[in-house]
Amino acid sequence: MATGVSGSEAVRVKPQEKFNFFQDERVRSVFFQILTVAIVGWLAWFLASNTAQNLDKRGLSFGFEFLDLVAPFDPDFKLISFTAGVDTYWRIFIIGILNTLYISFLAIIGMSFLGFSLGIMRLSNNWLISKVALAYVEIARNVPLLIQIIFWYSVIYAVLPRLKQSLDLSFGAELAFLNIRGLYVPWPVLGDLLWMTFLALAIAAIATYLFRRWVQKRQDLTGKSFPLLLPSAAILIIFPGLVFLLTGSPLSWDIPELKGFNFVGGASLPRAFIALLIALIFYHSAYLAEAVRAGILSVNKGQGEAAMAIGLRPNKVFSLVTIPQAMPAIVPPMISLWMNVVKNSSLATAIGYADLVAVYMQTSLNTAGHAIEIVGMTMGFYMITSLTISGLLNIYNKRVQLVER
Amino acid sequence: MAYVSTKSTPSRKPPLNESTPLGWVKVNMFSTLFSSVLSIFVLIAIFFTLKSLLTWGIFDGVWIADSRRECFSISIDGACWAGIIAWFDSIFYGLYPRDEIWRINLGGILLVIWMVPLWLPRVQGKVFIGFSAVALYPFLAGYLFSGGDKGIFVQVMISGAIVCIAALTINAAIGYFKNDNLANFIIQRLGKNDATEKQQRNILLGILAACVVAVFIWQLSWIEKSISWTRWGGLFLTFVIAGVGIASALPGGILLALGRRSKLKAVSILSIGFIEIFRSVPLITVLFMATTMFPLFMPEGIVLNKLVQVIIAVCLFNACYMAETVRAGLQAIPKGQFEGAHTIGLGYWGTMGLIIMPQALKHMIPNIVGTFIGLLKDTTLVSIIGLFDLLNILRTISRDKPWLGLHQETLVFGALIFFILCFAMSKYSRHLEEKLSTSHK
Repeated sequence: MATGVSGSEAVRVKPQEKFNFFQDERVRSVFFQILTVAIVGWLAWFLASNTAQNLDKRGLSFGFEFLDLVAPFDPDFKLISFTAGVDTYWRIFIIGILNTLYISFLAIIGMSFLGFSLGIMRLSNNWLISKVALAYVEIARNVPLLIQIIFWYSVIYAVLPRLKQSLDLSFGAELAFLNIRGLYVPWPVLGDLLWMTFLALAIAAIATYLFRRWVQKRQDLTGKSFPLLLPSAAILIIFPGLVFLLTGSPLSWDIPELKGFNFVGGASLPRAFIALLIALIFYHSAYLAEAVRAGILSVNKGQGEAAMAIGLRPNKVFSLVTIPQAMPAIVPPMISLWMNVVKNSSLATAIGYADLVAVYMQTSLNTAGHAIEIVGMTMGFYMITSLTISGLLNIYNKRVQLVER
Repeated sequence: MAYVSTKSTPSRKPPLNESTPLGWVKVNMFSTLFSSVLSIFVLIAIFFTLKSLLTWGIFDGVWIADSRRECFSISIDGACWAGIIAWFDSIFYGLYPRDEIWRINLGGILLVIWMVPLWLPRVQGKVFIGFSAVALYPFLAGYLFSGGDKGIFVQVMISGAIVCIAALTINAAIGYFKNDNLANFIIQRLGKNDATEKQQRNILLGILAACVVAVFIWQLSWIEKSISWTRWGGLFLTFVIAGVGIASALPGGILLALGRRSKLKAVSILSIGFIEIFRSVPLITVLFMATTMFPLFMPEGIVLNKLVQVIIAVCLFNACYMAETVRAGLQAIPKGQFEGAHTIGLGYWGTMGLIIMPQALKHMIPNIVGTFIGLLKDTTLVSIIGLFDLLNILRTISRDKPWLGLHQETLVFGALIFFILCFAMSKYSRHLEEKLSTSHK
């Protein structure tokens, strides 16, 4: 007998013939799925039919035609021109999106720098520094963002001077002013030939990139280093600078000037904008600091010690060994914090900065009605932004995973 | 021939001693030149910040005054705390009638009584305590706070809640002092130790039913004055919204997380869609949606008040965040746990409820509490849509005539309240995590 156990010896358990319809897993699975879909579908139908009825009863209609209507109000802050009584609700929507993206962009840059610094401060050997960073983090994280926003808004009002006593930020040159209403700075007026300077800048950037690659390659091959910083800076500054001068300096500045009861000219950032920016940076940098700290701590201690052993100086250890390995742990939470910045910038509506929610979901909704369309469009914008950012995150994660074998 | 030193080698300096205060300062603050410079700079900065804060808030602060103008006349640079003192009751209770404030206080005390046994040692049935606090307490508190006529369902729930809190308190006392539970205690007192389990259960159920009926009859005559939700406000309203949100976010989040990981495609797709939609938009848009669109969703005749709309929005929103937290905890559970549970014959709900969830939730305690803290902080957003929560009351003070323009003091006070609450929660969650940790250290 070749096989140890033959069919005659082994006890075969016959599969149960009786098919219990209610105990069968597949049947139950299908049943529950149909049940869920039915409940959700019924709920959706119920809400939709109620809505249709309610709209009918109030004599309202559903549709996006209102976007072509003229908006009767003027947003306080806008990056593109807007004329009340001429431009449409669609343009209001665009202005809101731009304003949201604008403040989010600045806040993201600010909070990234501050967050990284704080995260590194938290790990400082200096007890005092790390405790100061800790206090900052705890205060910023445990006080609601909305309170912080309103607080900064009122502090700016209390601290900054009135219009007539505007603070001159350029030390008497009368270029930039800060007062109770906001910040006024010169704004560049682009000349005709400025595109040549931009072109030169682009060429210089490419040249610097190639130069860097050459230096890197040379170092990899021969081990000899070549000064990098100074030549790059020279290329980047001198060449575009020369072109700029040769084309006759095609750039002038529009300088804010006090005329009557306000500043005219230049660019201005209203008080609400400054308060919101400060609060967003203050609040989110605390969260980023914790993420940075956790990321750095997640790097194996031996890595740093080994780098020290081969003779790298402490700051080189940090920038060449620790940080690159900490980045995969830092970037995902950082990107979701960026998303939070975009979402939380919607609190602008509490202090009257004209972001998407304030200008579209509040003011436009009050003047134009069409709640469903407006709420849907606003939420849609945030969803698309969020999906884009999480898409970027996925790409990053995939890349990091590949590098990690 | 030997080279022997005739002099003893001078001994090296001892390493910096961290155990003396001076040595500690030297090691931790002045180890290098750069570090020393930084330390001195930071010390100076801290000194001036603290000095100006203390001068503003305490030394120059005005505590007794009738108006902001009077504050200024006493101290021009100091904080005017008198405004907060004048509005103290409103900050905590909103516009709630002053004669009826005891109802809010009683509600708070009942909650404390309900929950305290959770922290007492030797008390049995802690899971039931938590569960009943979520399921029954809201009815009792809701009636205490709003008053008016009770529906029959609410009457039954209130009776149940009253019986429950009495039983839990006695149970806690018996557990704490005698290391026993209420059920056993009653059985022993009745001398029915030898009865079968079924008989014992019937006796207990009989007593329970008798108590509920007795309380039900008593509460028929218990009627409180009706107080409209529009008078709710201040920290009380903040707690109501946060409390309902917290109580429903965790169960909702668990269900959504299970739905998301479900093998049933339809369930998981719907859960993912629901979670991702709410997570990708700001809370304020959800609140606006609730106040502008819920009225359109409702069938004719049903009008939800603003508070209910807001609470629904907060619950939905936070359930989705909680779902992601719970999911992260579920993902950390090794597969062997599922397989082990199946081996001993547990079904889906048995596996999840008895094996997986307890571990997953324990892992995620700091994150769950973090979500709760976020929820508490987010309740301030309801002030934007016009509810008089703590923040909105504080902002009202600065619009009140005598206190016109009183901004910083009120906001600092609000920030302090939130800081204390949130900081305590996060510290407690760390403590709880360490206490419940079963891993080897």
